[in-house]
Amino acid sequence: MPLRKPRDNFEPDVTSFSDIATLLIIFFILTTTFVATTGSKLEIPSGSADPSQADEKQVTVNLAGSRIIFGPREQEFSIEQLRAALLRENFKAKDPSKRIVIVNSKPDVTYELYYEVVMAIASADGVLALIEEEGKGGPE
Amino acid sequence: MSIRRRRHLRALIPTTSMADLAFLLNIFFMVTSNFIKEAHVEVTPAASPDIEPMKETHISVTMDRYGGLWLQGKPCPVDVLEAGVRELMLEHSEKAVMLKIDRDVRQEKFGPVFLALSRAGAEIALVGQKEKE
Repeated sequence: MPLRKPRDNFEPDVTSFSDIATLLIIFFILTTTFVATTGSKLEIPSGSADPSQADEKQVTVNLAGSRIIFGPREQEFSIEQLRAALLRENFKAKDPSKRIVIVNSKPDVTYELYYEVVMAIASADGVLALIEEEGKGGPE
Repeated sequence: MSIRRRRHLRALIPTTSMADLAFLLNIFFMVTSNFIKEAHVEVTPAASPDIEPMKETHISVTMDRYGGLWLQGKPCPVDVLEAGVRELMLEHSEKAVMLKIDRDVRQEKFGPVFLALSRAGAEIALVGQKEKE
């Protein structure tokens, strides 16, 4: 019976692995985009209420189309005027329950305007309140 | 006369560790990469000067320019948004929800989204872009 020759130590060729790794790195470097998310966090208390019965001293902002109507006197403001008016309210010194700002917006208001108003309220330390009317699916 | 040949030394750069480095870099990229779930959704974010950089959250809700709603990059009707967000909040033990809405969407579309998130008890992180004052 012929004796089997002892086999040489088997070593897989790993040379191409480094090429694959380098190609993968190039792929990751080219496809990665670093995204810095910007925005603001809000905690929105929800409730069901009639806006007409709101506290007289409560700050209200009405949005219709591209118009911003502020406060009980229903003055038309620009976004800069609204920012200044909200800062004058000095929410920081007030009790959390007195910081609520009611935003009533009509269905034709764009998110661009709504976002600017909400951010102005948040930066003035106000608390945004959504009004959910009875029988309606969304805030007005 | 025998001419003595000069012995040349071959310069060899050890490249064995290069492959190890390459693999380590790959592992680094794989671990740190966070793939955008809504890459296919067309959204132009609203702008405001009052915003700051914020930390990304695990839960994301997006509304595209046509009013289509996406939860974690998948289409989601507004009536099931509240339940879906509640489930994800439990899963991730996190209250913060990243909300991204196209700037041209009207209130009749985005209003119910705010209400659903508010009812779910979420902390809304409104995504936007910085506008110069």
